Amino acid sequence: MRRLRVPDLGGAQAVILHRPHPTVQALVRQLSAIGLQAESHWPDLPSSALGADFIFFDVDMGHDEQFPWKPGQAPMPMIALIGSETPGRVEWALGMGADAQILKPVGDSGVYSALLIARAGFEARKALASEIDGLRARLAERQTVIRAVTILSVGQDDEAAYAELRRLAMSWRVTIEEAAARVVANGEAGRVRRRPS
Amino acid sequence: MGALRAIEEANADPALGLTLVPVERDPAGEADAYAPLCAEILTSGARHVVGCVTSWSRKEVIPTLERMGGILWYPCPYEGFEASSQVVYTHACPNQHLVPLLRWAFPRFGRRGVLTGSNYIWGWEMNRVARDLINEAGGEVLAERYLALGDTDVDRMVAEIRATRPDFVLNNLVGVSSYAFLGAMARLGCEDPAYGPERCPILSCNLTECELPALGEAAEGLVSAGPYFRDGAGAGSSFEAAAHAAVMFLARRLARQPEAQLDRLLAMAGEGLAIDPATHHATLPVLIAQVESGAFRLRQRSEAVPPDPYLARRDRFAITRPSLAVVAP
Repeated sequence: MRRLRVPDLGGAQAVILHRPHPTVQALVRQLSAIGLQAESHWPDLPSSALGADFIFFDVDMGHDEQFPWKPGQAPMPMIALIGSETPGRVEWALGMGADAQILKPVGDSGVYSALLIARAGFEARKALASEIDGLRARLAERQTVIRAVTILSVGQDDEAAYAELRRLAMSWRVTIEEAAARVVANGEAGRVRRRPS
Repeated sequence: MGALRAIEEANADPALGLTLVPVERDPAGEADAYAPLCAEILTSGARHVVGCVTSWSRKEVIPTLERMGGILWYPCPYEGFEASSQVVYTHACPNQHLVPLLRWAFPRFGRRGVLTGSNYIWGWEMNRVARDLINEAGGEVLAERYLALGDTDVDRMVAEIRATRPDFVLNNLVGVSSYAFLGAMARLGCEDPAYGPERCPILSCNLTECELPALGEAAEGLVSAGPYFRDGAGAGSSFEAAAHAAVMFLARRLARQPEAQLDRLLAMAGEGLAIDPATHHATLPVLIAQVESGAFRLRQRSEAVPPDPYLARRDRFAITRPSLAVVAP
C-alpha cells in the first residue's frame, strides 16, 4: 500500500474563486478549522493567486479567462466546486486541471479529503510530467547517439564503439546522450578542421 | 454521570436561575441505535446532547444533528481530523494526548515501538499519527497489529512483541480486546522484566479510572495521557470531568441568553472551558500519569494546550513546556 504523505497544511494559502455565497463561508469555515488561510475572489483571480497553495474554483459559472494561467497549467492543486453535474461542466473542470472536487452546496465536511487528494494527484501528475520530459529528451537524442557511435566506430565494430561511448559517459559522469553530443561536437569540429588540409 | 451531576449543580445554583431538564436515552453501545435515539432526544425539544464514546457513534449522529439543528457535546478523547459545526469537543485530540505522550516516552524509553489497535477509526488513525511521529523522530515501528472489535485472541500480538523487544507499546485496542491484551502483557512482564513497565511501558490515550477495576493488577505501570486524572475528591475520570465541564459551560451561558445559538454561546465570555470558535475544540491541560498501587500518579503536567485537531502546525512536537515534572521515585 502506498502511504499517503500528509502535507503540512498549517498556514497554507487557499484561494476560492466563487461569487459571494454561503458556499464560500462554509469553505472558509472548514479551511480555517484545518489551519489554512483562505481568501475569495470573483469574477477574476488576481495574479497574486499564483502564490496560493490550493485553488477552489466554481465550475457552474467558471470560464477560462478568470485564471492568470492557461487551462491545465495551474501551478498548484485545483479543487472544483461543482453544482450542476453535467458532462460539459465536468469536461471544463477537467480541462482546467481539477485534481479533486466538492459538490455544492458545501456543508460541514469534504474539504480535508479534497485537499489531500488534490495534493497527491497534483504531485503525481507533476512527477510523471517531469519523467516524461526526461524520456522525451532522451528519445530526441537517439540520432545524436547513432552519429556518435558512427564517429567512434572508426577501426572498431559498432558494439565496441557503443561500449566506448558508455565508458566516456561514465568517466565524464554524464548521460549517454550528453556524452554522445560531446563526441559529435568534437568529431564534427575535427572534420571541419581536417577539411581544408 | 458528570453531565447529570452538573445539571444538578446548575439547577441548585440560585445565581444561575435556570432549570436544565435532562432527557436520557441509552443506545447501549449499539452503533445503529445512536442516530434514531439522538433524533428522539431532539424531537423532545432538547437542543444540546451530551454523549457518545466511540468515534463510530459520533459519526453516526452528526447527520441527524445537522438535519435537526442539534448540538453534540462530545466528552471523550478521539483521533482528531474532524471539526463539525454541530459538535463541541470537550475532551482531548491528538496534539493534546498522543503527541505529548510520545514526546514524554521517547527520551525515557526509546523510539522503537509496537502499535496495536482495534479495527476501526480510533485504532487506525491513532496508529497512523504515531507512525508519522515515530518516523519523524528517527525511531522505528517494529509492528502494527489490529484485532476486530470484541476479539480477545491476543496471543499472536504478544508473541510478536516478545520477538521484536520494543522500547514501548502503544495500545489503541478498546474494550475486552484491550483487557485481554493488557492481562497477557502483565503476565509477560512478570516472566521477563524486559517487557515490564520499567523497560517497555504500555502507553494509551483512552485509559481512565473507569477501566482500573476491570483490569485489577494488570493495570500496574500503564501510562496514559489525558486532560484530567482523579486526585482526591472531584470527578471520577476525565470523561466525567469533560461532560461536567460541557454542561457547566452551557448552563452559565444559557442562563444569560437562553435562546443563543452555538456561535453566540462560544463567543460569550465566562468561566470554565475555553472553546476555540474555529474548531469547536477545547484548550486543555495535558497530564501524563502512570498507574501505581491501583491509582494514577501524575508524571508530567502541561497547562492550557490549544487544540490542533488537524495537526496542522508545522512543528508537531511543539507543545507548551511542562509546568511541572514529577520524577518517579
